[in-house]
Amino acid sequence: MSSSPSALLSVTYVEPGYRHVVELVHQRDPDARRRLRSLDLAVYEPEGKLLAEVSIDPAEETLDLAAVTAGPAAGRPRVMAVFDARYDERIFPYRPHHYGFLHREGSSSAPLYYAVGAVLGGVPQRVDNSRINNFETYVFAGGPFAERHAVLLGNLARFAPALAQVFAYYGPERVVRDVSLPPKAHTEVTLEPEHGGRRLERVEIKSLFRMATYVTGRRATSGDLVLFDHLFTFFK
Amino acid sequence: MLGVRRTATYYLPWLVRPGLACTLLLSDVEARFEPSHKRGPFPLRVEQYDAGGALALAYDVTLTDSVEVRELALASASGGCGFVVVRSERVHSDLYVTLSDGESYTATHGRGEFVERYPLRARILLTLLGGALAPLGRTVAAFARDQYAYVGPDSRSHLLLLNLSNVTNRIRVAAGAAGRSVGARLVALPPMGASLFDVSSLSPAAARETGVWRLRLQGNAWFNFYVVGAGSRDLAGPLSLMHVK
Repeated sequence: MSSSPSALLSVTYVEPGYRHVVELVHQRDPDARRRLRSLDLAVYEPEGKLLAEVSIDPAEETLDLAAVTAGPAAGRPRVMAVFDARYDERIFPYRPHHYGFLHREGSSSAPLYYAVGAVLGGVPQRVDNSRINNFETYVFAGGPFAERHAVLLGNLARFAPALAQVFAYYGPERVVRDVSLPPKAHTEVTLEPEHGGRRLERVEIKSLFRMATYVTGRRATSGDLVLFDHLFTFFK
Repeated sequence: MLGVRRTATYYLPWLVRPGLACTLLLSDVEARFEPSHKRGPFPLRVEQYDAGGALALAYDVTLTDSVEVRELALASASGGCGFVVVRSERVHSDLYVTLSDGESYTATHGRGEFVERYPLRARILLTLLGGALAPLGRTVAAFARDQYAYVGPDSRSHLLLLNLSNVTNRIRVAAGAAGRSVGARLVALPPMGASLFDVSSLSPAAARETGVWRLRLQGNAWFNFYVVGAGSRDLAGPLSLMHVK
């Protein structure tokens, strides 16, 4: 093991009623490398208030996130779960992210396997937060589907509020939403399925530093998550 | 030593089942940020390989500009699953594949990797060695991947195994949980072939308990897989696909 551990700050969002398991290491690792040096979990409510801090046993390979956050998440529609990992750089050999499994209990919807978004750190410093602009994009299917889309935005900064713009594109038209988030706060920005007779085609997020972002899709009838995905950073 | 050639390849999985449509989202949205390439048209050729590895269908698509998104509904082909290869000189954006039950859809993106081409002597060698090891449930472990799989009565993960080579790929899938072996099986995929592997079938009794299994996959040639998520109706219900690294 290196005497100079790497660090990774990664984020996901937890909603009650879901089976939600997060893998703590990259799945490509051979047995000998499947150990983090330390892992701390912090749970925040939407307004940014710290609800819980939990030290996770780094010997574990997967974490039942639903169980760990059940207390602080109770009565809230969603909480933000922040993982602060220290590790030998070989733990995340390809890209600095790990995976999670998500499924609404009792639902016939498909479970989702997803990449937990990295916000800061990496192998080493693979997640670049030094650009003056962060610009992320996601493309949607045309449908028509009874599915509601949104973006989740979280501000991981310790002290600085974050300003972001969410651009939803409908053919030649676009709808812009400005979002301001205090430190450690998060929000879900709903994307209207139609505008001016055109369906939602893509979304872009612009911000001054990297935020904890996901695209979500929910069945209109049940609210089940059927899409929980990372956006793409094309502009570098 | 074996004379293997690797050809850069962008591929996505496909999976068609009754009541479940599979559609590609083709775009080159990244080109907007490249002044020298932002103007179309962007021609693509999509080649759809079936589970047996045969080139079943091919589609030619042209994107008129960098913000156009074309949807390409994939027809089913032999075996109901496989992968598509997208060939284009100018499209470098990640492309999506969706699975829809008509009400909603799930989505993931493709992978930019390579396909291995083994010369005849290497294919003969692997055929002989693989044939000798197969009765023992083993393979020539040239490549290995580790993956977690999720089992339980309400939700589970399957694997869509993809043989990214021109040689028969014998892939051994072994599962363990809590430090104990759950089961193992050898799957033989034809060149460029695919198979939807039911992880729970390694131990149906153990899979009735909600849990996480650790998988180790070993193959005699380059391969990858997508995780297929299934809910309470298993493969008869809505499904999701997800790439791995």
